[in-house]
Amino acid sequence: MDATIEVTDLRKRFGPAVAVDDLSFTARPGQVTGFVGPNGAGKSTTMRILLGLDAADHGQALVGGRAYRSLRTPLYEVGALLDAAAVHPGRSGRDHLRWLAYSHGLSTRRVDELLELVGLSSAGRRRAGGYSLGMRQRLGIAAALLGDPPVLVFDEPVNGLDPEGVRWIRGFLRSLAAEGRTVLISSHLMSELEDSADHLIVIGRGRLIADTSVAELLAAASGERVAVRTAERTQAMAALTDEGATVAATGRDTLIVTGLPAQQVVRVLGTHEIAFSEVAAHRASLEEAYMELTRGAAEFETANKDGEVSR
Amino acid sequence: MSAPVPAPPVSGYRSPHARGGAGFGRLLHAEWTKLRTVRRWGYALIGAVVLTVLVALLAAGGSEIKGGGPSGPTLGPNGRPVSDGFRFVHQPLTGDGTVTVRVDSLVAQKNQRPNGREGSAAPWAKAGLIMKASTLPGSTYAAALLTHSHGVRFQYDFTHDVAGSDAPPDRPRWLRLTRAGDVVTAYESADGVRWDKIGATEAPDLPETVHVGMFVASPMAYNFERAFGSTGVDGTFTLSTGTFRDFSVDGRTEGPPRVTDVGAQGSGPGASGDGDAPTSPAGVTDAQGNSSSESGGVHTIVSTGDIAPMEADVDLTQQGLSGAVIGLIPLAALGVLFITAEFRRGMIATTFTASPRRGRVLAAKAVVLGGTTFVAGAVAAAVAFVVSQPLLRGKGHRPPVYPELTLADGSVLRAVSGTALVLALVAVLALAVGALVRNTAASVTVIVVLLVLPQILVAGLPLGAARLVVQATPAAGFAVQRTIEDFPQVESACLPEDGCYPQGAGAGLAVLCVYVAVALGLAVWQLRRRRA
Repeated sequence: MDATIEVTDLRKRFGPAVAVDDLSFTARPGQVTGFVGPNGAGKSTTMRILLGLDAADHGQALVGGRAYRSLRTPLYEVGALLDAAAVHPGRSGRDHLRWLAYSHGLSTRRVDELLELVGLSSAGRRRAGGYSLGMRQRLGIAAALLGDPPVLVFDEPVNGLDPEGVRWIRGFLRSLAAEGRTVLISSHLMSELEDSADHLIVIGRGRLIADTSVAELLAAASGERVAVRTAERTQAMAALTDEGATVAATGRDTLIVTGLPAQQVVRVLGTHEIAFSEVAAHRASLEEAYMELTRGAAEFETANKDGEVSR
Repeated sequence: MSAPVPAPPVSGYRSPHARGGAGFGRLLHAEWTKLRTVRRWGYALIGAVVLTVLVALLAAGGSEIKGGGPSGPTLGPNGRPVSDGFRFVHQPLTGDGTVTVRVDSLVAQKNQRPNGREGSAAPWAKAGLIMKASTLPGSTYAAALLTHSHGVRFQYDFTHDVAGSDAPPDRPRWLRLTRAGDVVTAYESADGVRWDKIGATEAPDLPETVHVGMFVASPMAYNFERAFGSTGVDGTFTLSTGTFRDFSVDGRTEGPPRVTDVGAQGSGPGASGDGDAPTSPAGVTDAQGNSSSESGGVHTIVSTGDIAPMEADVDLTQQGLSGAVIGLIPLAALGVLFITAEFRRGMIATTFTASPRRGRVLAAKAVVLGGTTFVAGAVAAAVAFVVSQPLLRGKGHRPPVYPELTLADGSVLRAVSGTALVLALVAVLALAVGALVRNTAASVTVIVVLLVLPQILVAGLPLGAARLVVQATPAAGFAVQRTIEDFPQVESACLPEDGCYPQGAGAGLAVLCVYVAVALGLAVWQLRRRRA
């Protein structure tokens, strides 16, 4: 099957609260798509609708062109991790995977393979009630992978993992995408996705804020800014301003230059024989970019409330 | 704000693994795995067996037979205990013949209640014609008779009862019995001219010469005094009066009519040499108050007694299985938990992502749970029956009133497997309630209110309400534990708290099935509609 996730004009309200508001996006094979937004932005609701657990009020969420509820062997087509705590505490992790496996005719050997893969081989026979949150996340990931599906949907998979686990899952998600799978992971922290996601869907209050690649987002947020480190701050500011740049002093010996590309800055400083220890294109962090975006979203919200129609 | 990103040239992932389907059989396997991998749930099954057996033992230990019980009961033609006592005004009839009489009236005496007020009459007080092999109690017979409240009947060999017209007891009615070879046929008439057949029976055990004549019998009349926690049943002897006219025997006979109190003291086997009970002259009143007289062709018979099968007051099988009422509690809790545990942890979302068709999930759960609890219930019921029987026997319950029973007897097998079925149905009902309510404590409460509360309440409710409770609540299913045959032609002190159900086993089970079906239907509808 074509393993694309397509969300189109999705809308869902719970009583008076709008959880998802006209959301459309696509997650494609071979990429890790990050689904980002603050808590309560509608990420989990969107994923639950995608997995057929909730019904949409309007629009649709399709996997490979089909509604999840119409799938007859869903574990082979979509692997999902929604809530790592959703295991019976009296059942062992291995038994939890076994009932899931048996529902699709998969063997106990497959279960043991996955326990091995996520590093739960020894803990698998213990009651899941005694698992740490990190172990439960690993168990949930194993459950999602049981049917070896081309589409994976993980809701906040990094939550509760220790630093070693975080590193492990980032590499793991990348390798899943590299195999050609569609990987959709949600997070409320942009920084968690910085090293793993290729593409980002940013939402706030149920609406799409940005649908972009990570590289583009960073470039947009970074702008044409150049950081300069020099002992001769005053002379440097004067020389650069004369060339038409806007210069801001950010420290005793640091300047941020806007309006001139980096080579131009080096040339101006050389002409004026101003010594510098560093000239670098300023790189915004994903978090900064995200803050920029959400600030924009807040303004957008305000504008919309005044009655302007804008898409 | 950003240009659309072109899709990378990656073809979708293809799993190298071989794949099977996810049919209903696989779903059953998954649910069965869930059930057997939570250790506490196994304990619930064991607990149900242990509780059922323990409570049965306690009940058996506390069951004392009252008043010693009938030691040498009269046995009917098929060996079952019977009541056979009445005043009989009779003549012999050899070979084929017809006996006819007009019953002018039957006046049933009302019983006297302790407070001096008049109670009710015995509805099965009867007066009519009887054709009997001998005057010994328990011998084979056929009778056409008028009753106080049940119209005209044709009864034979104690257990058989055929309804005729619903003629009232205070108007004259003609009755006729005809013997032709082995066939006895009963007729009734309003005017002695036009006759309606009531019924006929083959009676190969009737000897060449039989006794034919008039009789009156008047069984005990019961009054119930109910207060919470106790029920006073007062049953009193009654005497009823039958007035007969135009008695005629057409056939080889010899008169005049003689009078016998069948089943009276001294009339038992061995009391007389010729195999017949001693007769007494007409007009004599015996110790029980029976009397008879004749003047101008009008016979008046006053008599107590009854001609009917004797019902045992204790159903030993049912008593051995009584622990199931308590044993169902852990099974109901298991049924509830089988689904509420998933709602509580959010695991239901995993279940429904693996099997998006929610109705099928509930069906698979019901099959797995029902099957497992049926097996546990069958073990519980069989063990409880086997261990309680010797205890009950030790308390004085002996054949023939309490016949020896084993697991292989049809009635016992039906009660034991029926008990297992009831327990399984209760567990499935609990599952459905759990799926509807989604909360463990609330669901268990609902089940206890539906199933255990009625058992406690019946003793305190007025008789009508108590009977309704055991007929209309899911507890009606427990009627399947009763093995005693209830004869409609016998008025007995049938109290719900004694385990006497007004409905039959099948009807009771059907009521429970309706509850289960409705609850499952509602649960599927809710599961599909509500968010998981």
